[in-house]
Amino acid sequence: MERSKAFGTALASILLGGGALALAGFALASAAPHQAALHCQETSPGNCTITISSYPDALAGEHGTTGGAHPDWVSYSNDNLVVPANTTVHMTIDQYDSGGALNNSFFSKVWLNGAPSTATYQFPSTNGSTYGKVQTLSGWDTNDIGHTFTLRGVPGNGTPIFVSVPLPADPSTNGSAVTIGSGQYAKPVIVNFTFKTGSKGVYEWNCEFPCGGSREGQFGYAMSSYGYMSGTLSVE
Amino acid sequence: MTTTLEHATHAPSKGGGLARRQNFLTAMIGGVVFAWLGWFLSHHFLDSTSRNYNDLVTTSLAIGWIFGFWLGIGALNGPGRWLIGADHTRADDLYYAGENQGRARYWKYCTDHKVVGIQYIVMTAVLLGAGGILAMAIRTELIVPGNHFVNQQVYNGFVAVHGMLMILALIVAVAGPWANFVVPIMCGARDMAFPRLNALSLWTLVGAAGLLLSVLTVGSLTMGWVVLEPIADQAGVGMDLFAMSIIVFTVSTTVAGINTICTVMTMRTKGMTLARLPIFVWASMIAAALGLYAFPFFSLVESQTLMDRTFSTSFFVSSAGGTGWLQANLFWLMGHPEVYVILLPAVGALFEISSVMARKPVFSYRTAIAGMTGLASLSILVWAHHMFTTGWASTLGGPFMLTTELISIPTGLFFLVIIGTLWRGNIWMKLPTVWLFGFIFNFIIAGITGIYLSDIPIDNQLHGTMFVTAHFHYVFVGSVLFGAIAALAFWYPKVTGRYLDETMGRISFWLAFIGVQVTFLAMFISGLKGMPRRYSSYSMLFEHSNFVTTIGAYMIMAGMLVLLGAVVRSWSHGEPSGPNPWHANSLEWLVPTPPPLENFDVLPVITEDPYNYGEEMVQA
Amino acid sequence: MTDNKKKGSLQGMFWTWVVLTAISIAISLWAPGRFMPRSMSGSMHLTILTIVIFSVAASPVAAGVYAAMVHLLRHNIHRGNDVPEAAEPVRENAVLTTSWVLASTLLTVFLLVWGLGALSVDDGSNGSNPLVVNVTGQQWLWTFSYPGTNVTSPTLVLPEGRTVDFRITSEDITHGFWVANMGVQVDANAGTVTEIHTTPNKLGGFDIRCTQFCGLNHAFMVTTGNVVTPAQFSKWLATQSQLQKA
Repeated sequence: MERSKAFGTALASILLGGGALALAGFALASAAPHQAALHCQETSPGNCTITISSYPDALAGEHGTTGGAHPDWVSYSNDNLVVPANTTVHMTIDQYDSGGALNNSFFSKVWLNGAPSTATYQFPSTNGSTYGKVQTLSGWDTNDIGHTFTLRGVPGNGTPIFVSVPLPADPSTNGSAVTIGSGQYAKPVIVNFTFKTGSKGVYEWNCEFPCGGSREGQFGYAMSSYGYMSGTLSVE
Repeated sequence: MTTTLEHATHAPSKGGGLARRQNFLTAMIGGVVFAWLGWFLSHHFLDSTSRNYNDLVTTSLAIGWIFGFWLGIGALNGPGRWLIGADHTRADDLYYAGENQGRARYWKYCTDHKVVGIQYIVMTAVLLGAGGILAMAIRTELIVPGNHFVNQQVYNGFVAVHGMLMILALIVAVAGPWANFVVPIMCGARDMAFPRLNALSLWTLVGAAGLLLSVLTVGSLTMGWVVLEPIADQAGVGMDLFAMSIIVFTVSTTVAGINTICTVMTMRTKGMTLARLPIFVWASMIAAALGLYAFPFFSLVESQTLMDRTFSTSFFVSSAGGTGWLQANLFWLMGHPEVYVILLPAVGALFEISSVMARKPVFSYRTAIAGMTGLASLSILVWAHHMFTTGWASTLGGPFMLTTELISIPTGLFFLVIIGTLWRGNIWMKLPTVWLFGFIFNFIIAGITGIYLSDIPIDNQLHGTMFVTAHFHYVFVGSVLFGAIAALAFWYPKVTGRYLDETMGRISFWLAFIGVQVTFLAMFISGLKGMPRRYSSYSMLFEHSNFVTTIGAYMIMAGMLVLLGAVVRSWSHGEPSGPNPWHANSLEWLVPTPPPLENFDVLPVITEDPYNYGEEMVQA
Repeated sequence: MTDNKKKGSLQGMFWTWVVLTAISIAISLWAPGRFMPRSMSGSMHLTILTIVIFSVAASPVAAGVYAAMVHLLRHNIHRGNDVPEAAEPVRENAVLTTSWVLASTLLTVFLLVWGLGALSVDDGSNGSNPLVVNVTGQQWLWTFSYPGTNVTSPTLVLPEGRTVDFRITSEDITHGFWVANMGVQVDANAGTVTEIHTTPNKLGGFDIRCTQFCGLNHAFMVTTGNVVTPAQFSKWLATQSQLQKA
């Protein structure tokens, strides 16, 4: 082949091949599930509120009406949270699931912004009809935890944030009190806490109560699958 | 053993029944049908509430797949007919060797080693292509910090499958095409010792590749290709498919290894003493022997992982009395020799190329053999250098450091042989030579950075960082892949009768060569700075080095696309080369292009090695 | 080639080798310090020194191969479109082969002696009474507890100048505990305890990263640490102990 033809064929190979690869890339990117972001609602300058829930299954709506590929897996309502920078975030978590014993009692304590702290807890009665008083606690019984909300930052990428809040097991046995999506649940434990964000960054949070089926550590299944028991918190 | 071809008269193949219609399509159909059967039976008879249910079903599905695939491609025809007392006749053998079938034989269970060699070229390209797509996805994700392209679960899945696909591709990259196509002719044989096993090794690889690719469709894995325990116990059903693909692949590589060794030891033509063999044959044989030692470990450890997952055994699960360290040891007992199984055929081809292109004998043929043998033997004793930081056995650190650093001595001998061969030669700067020089440049960097990692204090800092990744990519991409492409450019005229286009080949070389330096030097910097490997997202500290690495990766991709274009275009439009374009003396160049069905009309008698240029090779 | 030309070209190769060695040594002296994390312990200092020494030792070897390549590319390429004729067939050179093997053996022995020496000389301690820190890894974070107190912390605080004895385990699968600024790394394994020790000798922040692929959020299993003065450390421990009393 003369040189010009060779150069032309080379260029054609790169363009054609590159195009095919770009198509493959788009297909891959759109196949990967991203849940819609939940934004923190500003209540006053420098403050905002955000509410999520934790469920005993995946029927509450974010995985579709039939619960997606794994309707029986435990799930959080949102795995894509967005909060503003330099703000005090007031977070509420409604915990609908039963529970058990943690494997590391460290996570039974409340930690906010890297220091031991307190959160407020409100429990439904056993028959689910009333709520008890709001209690301010620094932790809960390590053998009676439903999930945890544990958030940490990647140093070098924004201000480090460490938050870990135990979400107690739901004591209510009235399993059909609330209907959300196609799931029926008992009235939730309501947990409230606040933490401060610094500069912009991307943080990961996940539940630190391993309940995911494998023999070693139980971090398989829902615990290891994006969109169930872990998610992203973007500070923007 | 016949020294002349029988020109038997026989009727050309007629309809011939179902067996004669088997090809890749029937193999796929067979695989799918029996996979469904495996799924159906296990689904029906197993308790769906048991914890191992999903793993058992997936494993049954995979077993069904490979059995059906073998049935569909006709792998079981030969043994089957022997069992019922209706063994293959000579006419059957010639049919299975692809006589009179034209292009169709490339899709079938063809025993002709030259057809198998070409099928391996295609498989190598498929595996490299699939692995390459995943590599581009990985680098695209890592171009800037933060998740943008895919989420971390999808990304983590890419990492393991990219690794395994590329390892498979490189194990077969030189050995598959050229130990099959060229080695029997170099020995003066009509085919390999076990032609049916040759076809089996290729089609089993295809079946294994199918299983490996399917891992991506079931949520993949969240661990590296080493699939360490105990995290492998935690993985989804992708792990079962992965383990099965390895177990199946081990069949392919074992069969191929036995075939290569038996061919070289028993089927050399008269006068072809071991000392007159082209050095590439030695390299193929030593690599095959090392593979026979190493790959059964892989099969073993994946079987144990599978048993842990399907039958709740506890080889590797510490909460049940096992230990992950056992898995790591068994894996690396395979894993380190395996990298030399990958390297040796490429180095052997480069020895051959340096001799032909410098018009000089291989410098110190005996040192080359001693070096390769020494490397292979020592490689059996170094495995725990992958485990320095596991906390497994700190007292063994010193001994493994010793054996690992000793390996640099035989590795250094390769440079002596290649440079010694080129020294004062009349170097013919054609495409194979260009890639050879690229190899020399990259292999020094690969070797030296390996020595850093063999030193425990350094390893304590650099283990698990991108420094390690950059080191082995200099070995696999910078050295082995460059060697494989040199081999391709070298033997391409023998296969097709045309040169691989020089200009496109050089464009591809410069893109790949510069791309390798940009990509992996920047990756060394990421590692020195402290970026661990297999990270889906990273700190701002590593932002610049990762950006540069990704740009380099796109350059390599462009180079590989140009190479693919060159291979495809030159196959039918390349400049005709004649049967011996490089004026070499080894037997493959002295037969016509393409070589006839059984290679030689009359088997040659050899009186000297093939390294006397300037004289015609003497045949009796 | 005439004898003078041969001599001239070999001289050229020698000077190429000298220049390349010098460049490589310069890079060896500059790069590790420029790119590697700030050294905060004796072990890290020794590690960086070893990298520098190994790079300097490898420089003449790499430069030699590259100088040979340059020489070949300048003097031995066949020009023209015809087939090159056969070159002088040198099949063996016992002197060259023997000296090559000898030289590479000596270099290997040197590297080995340095490495083994470094291992035995530095065991990470400075003779002080070691502070024991229990490190627990689990998917996907590290927690540190100080035996003898009730303090558990998600970040690692250490006093300067006192040897710290890390006792590391995992709650689930294998993780890699790596203190990036102190040159120590060992896996955290379920069901067993691994140990490393080092002595921080600088104040300031450092990073701890997981180096063993551990699943979904492996890339986020990173935390910070801080080396403070012994007085600040006692104060921090006491404050934490009070806060964590509940």
